[in-house]
Amino acid sequence: MLKCGMSGSQVKVFGKAIQALSRISDELWLDPSEKGLALRSVNSCRSAYGCVLFSPVFFQHYQWSTSVKTNDSDTISNLNCKLGMKSILPIFRCLNSLERNVEKCKIFTRSDKCKVVIQFFCRHGIKRIHNVCFQESQPLQVIFEKNMCSNTLVIQPRVLAEAIVLFTSSQEEVTLAVTPLNVCIKSSNEESMDLTNSVYSEMFVGPDEFDFFQIGVDTEITFCFKELKGMLTFSEATHAPIAIHFDFPGKPMALSIDDMLLEANFILATLADEPSRESSPQSLYLSQKRKRSELIDSNSEAGKNVTSKDAEYISRKAVPKRLYSETCTNISSLENCGIPLTERANGDISEVPESSVSDTEEVPGSSYLRKCDAEKKRCQKIISVLSDTEQQPLLPRKPGFGGE
Amino acid sequence: MPLLTQQIPDENDYSLVANLDNVRNLSTILKAIHFREHATCFATKNGIKVTVENAKCVQANAFIQAGIFQEFRVQEESVTFRINLTVLLDCLSIFGSNPMPGTLTALRMCYQGYGYPLMLFLEEGGVVTVCKINTQEPEETLDFDFCSTNVINKIILQSEGLREAFSELDMTSEVLQITMSPDKPYFRLSTFGNAGSSHLDYPKDSDLMESFHCNQTQVNRYKISLLKPSTKALVLSCKVSIRTDNRGFLSLQYMIRNEDGQICFVEYYCCPDEEVPES
Repeated sequence: MLKCGMSGSQVKVFGKAIQALSRISDELWLDPSEKGLALRSVNSCRSAYGCVLFSPVFFQHYQWSTSVKTNDSDTISNLNCKLGMKSILPIFRCLNSLERNVEKCKIFTRSDKCKVVIQFFCRHGIKRIHNVCFQESQPLQVIFEKNMCSNTLVIQPRVLAEAIVLFTSSQEEVTLAVTPLNVCIKSSNEESMDLTNSVYSEMFVGPDEFDFFQIGVDTEITFCFKELKGMLTFSEATHAPIAIHFDFPGKPMALSIDDMLLEANFILATLADEPSRESSPQSLYLSQKRKRSELIDSNSEAGKNVTSKDAEYISRKAVPKRLYSETCTNISSLENCGIPLTERANGDISEVPESSVSDTEEVPGSSYLRKCDAEKKRCQKIISVLSDTEQQPLLPRKPGFGGE
Repeated sequence: MPLLTQQIPDENDYSLVANLDNVRNLSTILKAIHFREHATCFATKNGIKVTVENAKCVQANAFIQAGIFQEFRVQEESVTFRINLTVLLDCLSIFGSNPMPGTLTALRMCYQGYGYPLMLFLEEGGVVTVCKINTQEPEETLDFDFCSTNVINKIILQSEGLREAFSELDMTSEVLQITMSPDKPYFRLSTFGNAGSSHLDYPKDSDLMESFHCNQTQVNRYKISLLKPSTKALVLSCKVSIRTDNRGFLSLQYMIRNEDGQICFVEYYCCPDEEVPES
């Protein structure tokens, strides 16, 4: 059972969270607990996960209970409430008008009818009621120790927005390259091979621009851009800095916002390194795995240093300097591109049933599928961090490799 | 043959002559009913009525009374023709639909009679454009027989209260259900989309409610696709009157104030969808 109420300005933040999560998936879980109301979302190929937890003090009032009265007796069961993004997103589409008009918003569930009721009490006595049907489905949780990451950057949304403003809307992936001296956000190399996207951009951000800057290991990670943009607009609404936690390519990264009233975490798969493009994705993955375990050993100490730096996130910097950016048209990298690339294979991937995502598949070595591989590799990566609430098959190992 | 060398007919040869200092006073109103390509125009000495219909279920009428025009003459009892509204609107905004502040486009509109084109002379800053739009055989328009004596429920609302409601209507719903009742919920708009149902309730004592005269509870459904175009009129209007008669027919009257502060009316009629199951 869930029952909560909020004011117009809180509705705006709540709606922004839903909008940010809509970048990840077309499904949304409402997951109330004593810690507050969590909104969760996982994309279909499990390469991105988002969770925004609103603490009970965020709301004007917040009530939650596990017991659901059934016909026979009281049974303890969590509210398993999965909503279609298509049904909930339109309700929170015009946030400025909601903020302006809504005096009070109440959200409560009617488990008997599998309904979430959202009521807006607006100016002029107008009342808007939305009855949204939900689906019984247990929420997924991702266990990811972001504080164990060797690299942590905390940046003000305004600075990050300036840094990524040059990327075009067609940009699907970005690469974040870090050294202790600077941070570079650039177009992904994978994508710059694409004939349709020949603009290659690089933005350098100095360590001074960050509220918190800790680089334990020089690395270069590539991840999806749209989730980053989603997180960015959300952090702009909450005026909270974004923390980026990451390690080496192939390991998931976390984008997070920690505020008094809410906590947001987006866990994104990153692209694994590709030592050789000819080999099958599976062997690629395994060789990657081996490399990864080495890295874990060498970085375990660096990781420990990061565990409790949360307090430092809050310290804020003065006005940042101008960002230095560089955009050039990449011609040389186009030469490699013999076969015209078709559209990204996201659609294909989403059709892969969950249980077979990590199965070995026949992959002919075309450049079109190389993208597909990359996506799949990201999928595999994040699955390894999914909790046991949903049983994922273990990744198949090829005999003879025996890496780990 | 170039236009200027043509024999310009004598003023009295025209069955309709209308002059307007600010063409936007006409084009704005016509845009409010522009949801179909063609419109039928009726002119009498009182003014012009432009009618647009769709699916034999919805009818929109824009009234531009003679007083809006600086000069308005109709030689016959009534003048009727059908015209491509899209083309007419394009011509009326030939100098741009958002003119520089302080510059007005003036219009002189002439119609010689059955079979002749509608002539438009548009002038802005000394530049004159002449447009000739072919007119078509007028079609018979629907008679909704909406008579005020049969009206059961009537509400007048300030339009701002409906504007957001209409722009955010759940278009996955096939119908818009309108409940009008002397008791709670007084005035309710409901949609039933893929996601579930949504209701919007207006209390009768809301400060947006200019008048509330509901005699009995009526629940009627209207095709949302037919009502949605009325949003165009809604956004321009300052007040809207919502009436239903004993058959469940809906009349929406929008009061629109033009740039010169004059009042015009746009009216939508819509027939109900089907019998509503009791709920």
